[in-house]
Amino acid sequence: MMAEWLSFSFSFLCWGLVLGGVAAIVIVLLLFRALTISHHAAVPKWRLKNSPAHLLVVLGSGGHTAEMFSMLRRMELDPSRYTYRTYLVSSGDNFSAAKAVEFETDYLGQRYQTTTKDARGSYTIVTVPRARRVHQSYLTAPFSTLQSFWACLLVLRGLHPDQKLRPPYFTSPYPDIVLTNGPATAVCVILAARLLRLYNYLVAIFEPRRKPTSSGSTRSDLQLRTIFVESWARVTTLSLSGKILLPFADRFLVQWPALGGKQMWKGMRKTEYVGTLVD
Amino acid sequence: MTSTTMKLCFVTVGATASFHLLLEAVLDESFLEALQKLDYTHLLVQYGKDSRALFEELRGKHRSGKHGIKIEGFDFNTAGLDSEMRMAQANPSDERAGGVIISHAGSGSILGALRLGVPLIVVPNPTLQDNHQEELAQQLQKQGYVVSSSVKEMAAALPRVEKLRANMLTWPPVSGVGKKKRPPLEQVMSDEMGFLD
Repeated sequence: MMAEWLSFSFSFLCWGLVLGGVAAIVIVLLLFRALTISHHAAVPKWRLKNSPAHLLVVLGSGGHTAEMFSMLRRMELDPSRYTYRTYLVSSGDNFSAAKAVEFETDYLGQRYQTTTKDARGSYTIVTVPRARRVHQSYLTAPFSTLQSFWACLLVLRGLHPDQKLRPPYFTSPYPDIVLTNGPATAVCVILAARLLRLYNYLVAIFEPRRKPTSSGSTRSDLQLRTIFVESWARVTTLSLSGKILLPFADRFLVQWPALGGKQMWKGMRKTEYVGTLVD
Repeated sequence: MTSTTMKLCFVTVGATASFHLLLEAVLDESFLEALQKLDYTHLLVQYGKDSRALFEELRGKHRSGKHGIKIEGFDFNTAGLDSEMRMAQANPSDERAGGVIISHAGSGSILGALRLGVPLIVVPNPTLQDNHQEELAQQLQKQGYVVSSSVKEMAAALPRVEKLRANMLTWPPVSGVGKKKRPPLEQVMSDEMGFLD
């Protein structure tokens, strides 16, 4: 009797493990599939030309920050189009915060004096904890990375304490577009953006009444679009952040021809060679 | 060329890592001789936070002023190095001939020099682990924007600069034949936004 019960519970455990394993594999495959599909879903033309847009710029550190503002200047970032800008910096990175203020006041302020007052001073600088400080132990690094990831999630949802009241014409807390060029914090932000989008997608399936597409001017399924620009200093090899983000960023831009056309696995969107973006 | 005309060689090692090999190379007898031959009058060195002692020691060897080159140095400028780089730009009204910038292979310094249109020698730091900086220097040299040199060949790189000066390309590079209506980044962002246009 005892032996019979033991063997029964053993086989039950085995089946449990097998089923659990299968379920895990199915979920992973579904996630891969979802990533591939989302990489091929082109953004429809749906937004009116003069509708306000919220841009989130992730500032990495020294060289990355310098390159980012160099690109924003060269593309002549138009504050009447990207009416609200959030700059995300890592704690202790005073250089990046100073550069953001300089860009907003000196460049945008002088260049676009004629645009509406609303569009000019409309920006926020948000500080999140560093994923890993220089010389920090690898034992504690996973915890600080999680802490940083959590802060990035808060920023994307507009709940971070540094965030001022955003202009009233934004009904959604999400940035419309996330622009990054590395390193660590950029990885956190893009992963957090993808996680939020997955969550919203699942919510929309299970609660059709709250389907985001139904609300007129904002389509939260088309917000949080992510763009990663590989550093101009990378000629033949991708950076570590680039390698991690290759399957996750919606658009992956590279500035040297040898890096164009790379993809994580077959069927995924490829990196795009767009020439020199810095000035 | 009159003797009052200033011609500057500005050397920068950057803010992050120290680069003692570069300091030793530009304060070497052979390099100063090469400068003198090409009518340089001034050598300005940004040597980094922890290298003042080394710089003073190396400069001390040239107190005699045999080469007639004025050597000066500073550790770092938090406001950026733009004003120092501008001193190497040609400016006839100021009696300044076009000089040269010698820089570590950091992208910030390279871009700074390219924007000002001053000839640049890029010297990758061999003690740094990742060699992607070296690739950048090589690629830019191939395209005709800079002179790439190792720390050991600095004196030989100077005459190559004069050749580069004669055929300077403008920065930033103009995008291909079919001129697009928008800068590529603006285009990509617009596409992702889904703007009707």
